Amino acid sequence: MERMPTDPPATLAAWLRTRSDEQLAALLAARPDVARPAPSDVVALASRLAVPVSVDRALDELDAATLQVLDVVLLAPTDGLPPEDLPAALPEVPDDVLQRALGTLTTRALLWGDDVLHAPDPVRRAVRHPAGLGRRALDLRVQLPADLPAVLAELAPEEREVLDRLAGDRPVGHLPDTTGTASTPARRLLQRGLLARIDALNVELPREIGLLLRGDRPYGPPRLRPEPAVTSRDPEVVDRQAAGAALEAVGRVGELLTLLEEEPAGLLRSGGVGVRDQKRLARALHVPEPEAAWLLELASAAGLLDVGGPHRDEWLPTRGYDVWREQDLADRWALLASGWLGSVRLPSLVGQRDVAGKAANPLSPDLVRHTAPAIRRSVLATLAEHPAGSGVAPDELVALLRWRTPRRADRLAPVPGMLDEAARLGVVGGGVLSSGGRGLLARGEDGAADGMRGLLPEPVDHVLAQPDLSLIAPGPLVSGLADTLAVVADVESSGGATVFRVSEASVRRALDAGWSADDLHQFFARASRTPVPQALDYLVDDVARQHGRLRVGAIESYVRSDDHGLLAQVLSDRRTAAAELRRLAPGVLVSGLGADEVLTVLREAGYAPAGENPGGAVLTRPPARPRAAGRRPGSESQPAARPLSGDELAATVREIRAGDAAVAARRGEAVRQVPGVTTASTLELLSRAVREGVPVWLGYVDAQGSGSQRVVQPVSLVGGFLQGYDERRGENRTFAVHRITSVALVEEEDAAG
Amino acid sequence: MSDGPLIVQSDKTLLLEVDHPLARECRAAIAPFAELERSPEHVHTYRVTPLALWNARAAGHDAEQVVDALVRYSRYPVPHALLVDVADTMDRFGRLTLQNHPVHGLVLSSSDRAVLEEVVRSKKVAPMLGARIDEDSVVVHPSERGRLKQALLKVGWPAEDLAGYVDGQAHPIFLEQDGWHLRDYQQEAVDGFWAGGSGVVVLPCGAGKTLVGAAAMAEAKATTLILVTNTVSGRQWKRELLARTTLTEDEIGEYSGERKEIRPVTIATYQVITTRRKGEYRHLDLFDAQDWGLIVYDEVHLLPAPIFRLTADLQSRRRLGLTATLVREDGREDDVFSLIGPKRYDAPWKDIEQQGYIAPAECVEVRVSLDDEERMTYAVAEPEERYRIAATAKSKLPVIRRVLERHPEEQKLVIGAYLDQLEELGTALDAPVIQGSTTNKERERLFDAFRSGEIKTLVVSKVANFSIDLPEAAVAVQVSGTFGSRQEEAQRLGRVLRPKADGRQAHFYTVVSRDTLDSEYAAHRQRFLAEQGYAYTIVDAADLAGPGEVNGPDWVDEPAD
Repeated sequence: MERMPTDPPATLAAWLRTRSDEQLAALLAARPDVARPAPSDVVALASRLAVPVSVDRALDELDAATLQVLDVVLLAPTDGLPPEDLPAALPEVPDDVLQRALGTLTTRALLWGDDVLHAPDPVRRAVRHPAGLGRRALDLRVQLPADLPAVLAELAPEEREVLDRLAGDRPVGHLPDTTGTASTPARRLLQRGLLARIDALNVELPREIGLLLRGDRPYGPPRLRPEPAVTSRDPEVVDRQAAGAALEAVGRVGELLTLLEEEPAGLLRSGGVGVRDQKRLARALHVPEPEAAWLLELASAAGLLDVGGPHRDEWLPTRGYDVWREQDLADRWALLASGWLGSVRLPSLVGQRDVAGKAANPLSPDLVRHTAPAIRRSVLATLAEHPAGSGVAPDELVALLRWRTPRRADRLAPVPGMLDEAARLGVVGGGVLSSGGRGLLARGEDGAADGMRGLLPEPVDHVLAQPDLSLIAPGPLVSGLADTLAVVADVESSGGATVFRVSEASVRRALDAGWSADDLHQFFARASRTPVPQALDYLVDDVARQHGRLRVGAIESYVRSDDHGLLAQVLSDRRTAAAELRRLAPGVLVSGLGADEVLTVLREAGYAPAGENPGGAVLTRPPARPRAAGRRPGSESQPAARPLSGDELAATVREIRAGDAAVAARRGEAVRQVPGVTTASTLELLSRAVREGVPVWLGYVDAQGSGSQRVVQPVSLVGGFLQGYDERRGENRTFAVHRITSVALVEEEDAAG
Repeated sequence: MSDGPLIVQSDKTLLLEVDHPLARECRAAIAPFAELERSPEHVHTYRVTPLALWNARAAGHDAEQVVDALVRYSRYPVPHALLVDVADTMDRFGRLTLQNHPVHGLVLSSSDRAVLEEVVRSKKVAPMLGARIDEDSVVVHPSERGRLKQALLKVGWPAEDLAGYVDGQAHPIFLEQDGWHLRDYQQEAVDGFWAGGSGVVVLPCGAGKTLVGAAAMAEAKATTLILVTNTVSGRQWKRELLARTTLTEDEIGEYSGERKEIRPVTIATYQVITTRRKGEYRHLDLFDAQDWGLIVYDEVHLLPAPIFRLTADLQSRRRLGLTATLVREDGREDDVFSLIGPKRYDAPWKDIEQQGYIAPAECVEVRVSLDDEERMTYAVAEPEERYRIAATAKSKLPVIRRVLERHPEEQKLVIGAYLDQLEELGTALDAPVIQGSTTNKERERLFDAFRSGEIKTLVVSKVANFSIDLPEAAVAVQVSGTFGSRQEEAQRLGRVLRPKADGRQAHFYTVVSRDTLDSEYAAHRQRFLAEQGYAYTIVDAADLAGPGEVNGPDWVDEPAD
């Protein structure tokens, strides 16, 4: 657009200035961290691009092939390498790969220059061992032997082996841990000056030796994209399998939370759930302990389980759980899946021992890894690149991810665990992304639910009652029926169906919960699609017959007296009606009101009662089930910066260009002011500009605190605000005068420059 | 979503909806690798256990078939983890094989060195192994074959036994199918057993297990040792063999406390074999007395522990276990499987009943309220006395009488566990009592009288738990039992399951004291019967109406005249 026909640019900033708007937008899109807040001009942009953190981040996202191209430039003997030289340096790399790598690097300004490629210094510093080669002998302060090839040729095989190893991917190695002065191959090499000592433990291979050993492949073997063998499976089978896993996960989490509702797990002082609770849950769910840990983690990731209770020392189902259990299966699964995808925790670490030998507990804060969501997403995204029904084996997937982000390879350790979890959830089935998993990746929770819908069974609203007193729900139950059955029967086996068993204890529990024998008969008759067995009806009647032979009631206070006449008087006294007294036994009146209230009423009625020590007051159950406050999952911990939209990119580029132009604009003497302190000269200059209709150059700090420089055609100056038209940005804007840091009149020619 | 008859549960139980059109087909597909656990009216429960999976492998089924059966018939998606687990478990089978080596004899060898290493180092297994031949094989003493298989099963690396069976001394035996023929399920059971070489056939009492044994002998055509629970049942076997096979009186020997005959077919009691004198089993020579081609274990669920050990030594002979239920109260079902062999055949009782081969039975539990005095006695009794007090309550007597009156023309058995109570009942009901101390001669006399209809009611003790054949018993009343033993229940029910000449229904009553341990134990039994598919009704003694009265039986037995 505005490429200057002059000499090639001498600096990164100058080169950036020659880039088109589209190219700048691409740069900002690729390195969004430098785009926020918008840099005021190209120089600011260039300096942000040089920030080490930003460079590291940009490099971390590059694949191995791209990094290898970068290595070639970094290793060029002089600064600057013409792009034409690249194919010769990497003869085994196809041309299109080279071009793509080069495009990636220049787009991200990790290399700059058009005719000659330069690497900015921060990039040089960020790549410690380009192409896996050590520093130059000069930098390592090693005096290499004069005739290096000859010396190398004479080395003993084991010494040569050490050198060969260090000439591979990593030029730094540990010195073997020998106590004596035994001359190990590495030590002999050190003595001969073929290795450089960099600290007490480590040695580094000088670059010259590495290059020599590598021969005609100075940059190592070509880092081409691995082509993993694609496993193909019938997508329908994958989905069915995934649905099986999904059903299992949803069912298990539900059971887990029901258990925790009845008996919450204690919160350890170090956070997390204790081993004893984990064991108890595993036993109750009939699953191995690691499985119980996974379910706890899953429930927590989905926001269904959190710390709560009166003292905030218990793990309880959250309010979200109450909503969740009413949802249909697909939605319930989607919440679990999206909770898992966005979770910053690594459930696979449960049970692993730390350096101190302490095993990590489920839900322990030690399992938080903030990179986890990004890794999970990249794993799924890699699988999603394959068409429905095909995927890659776990180890090949890891190899591919390692190639994609070699600088982050150390973060890939949890990938096998994640794939395992994905399979347990039904996001992945047999190494292939399921429809639900695909939906989850593309459209989050809703997508996941849509992908899984139709694969999961419809809830059933009946059971089959059998003569052995079992009730079989031949599918997931509608939640109302499930709740009722949880009261009147015990779960014996769960899965696709649920087997309930009615026992004396369960019938008693139902009677305790306020059911009558008739209610139970009717319930069984209504809920069962098969005739209710006589034995079941008999059981209900038999238990009901015995139920309630002992009576327990709750009262708040009592009134007792040895004077039965007095009690009779109190009971019949209309003034004491407010005390709600009734006679329980001779000599004892009881009330549902508190002792204080009864005392007050009696006193007001003219009696002289005395309070008694309140031993024996029966406490009622707490009115509501305990719940933790909980949080909505997914809303927090946005793992990666939100990508910039097209509009934002365009606006930012416009901003930079405008700032740049403003800097370049020739201007008169500037009037500077401290922001917030408006000086008379500022005002004078501004009003003159308004009056005469000449553009002004403004230094301005916006409400977010980022500075910018602009050229503005002022229109009015009213009430501390300057209105004007910013030509470069193409917008009418209002500037608060107190945010203006400096003003100058732009001289004569147009401000666009 | 397919609409299969099967629901696969997380705990590896399989629920089979019986009324589903595909149910029969599905049952056939899952039977090889899943144990039938419960077969109540509507939904049957099978369980997939490692043992069952290994047995399936031994019978030539592979993991793919198992997975395919599960996936094909399942109504809902099957959890992948379960399928993987199935495949993994089945994969463990056959890494080790027992083979006959031309030079070294019996040899344990492996295609997977790591597994062999693990096993050789195992403390449980190592003592049974001999010298190492090479990296892949190790010598096994032939007498350790059974024990080794058992131990390997426990460490999770079951061995495939390819060493085969000795044929034993040939002896011609044929079935004489004149006027009768082997029923389909009996033939299937024999075929299943023969194809597998050794194993257990599970059939309900009255379904003709003896014939399965006879047919197996006819298949083996070799000298046979039959182990039975007691002399009476031994004679039963002898009668049956004489009637159904070409065997003659001279060819069948009885080896019991009374007689010690060893003939080509010898019937011995468990008791005599386990008799010890001065700490030594005196009759073990029996096993070596003949080159037996087949050993039949009747009522294998009662197999006493010493015979386990003997059986471990008999691994090269074909073994057939017969039982009505594999439930062992001592939980040693696995030992039966590993020593006798896997289950080769079983069928839901109800299926056989529907085919008309066993009598349909109505199970009724009658609840008796104790009187106040009895309740007080019960309430203050020592815990270990409570069951006896509840079970032998006097209040039961009028109820038992009333139950018997409902069936004036039927052959009735009153079964109990406490001798005092039985004596009392015998006196009160004017019926002879058979108990452990009754001589065999007396027993046979009473049984004959009962069979001929001379005696209508017999009071029997635990001896009824064992194999006695009372073809015409149509009503059984149990008044006390062994702490809700399911095995006992199966045996007692078996007493009335023999098909009746006129296809009449059998009645099985349990008289239980209400609100006591007795009714608690009854609940176990009730569950067991219901799980076998029997209709089970509970009535209050007060509601127990006589024939023709309200709530009484729908029919009245016609007087026989």
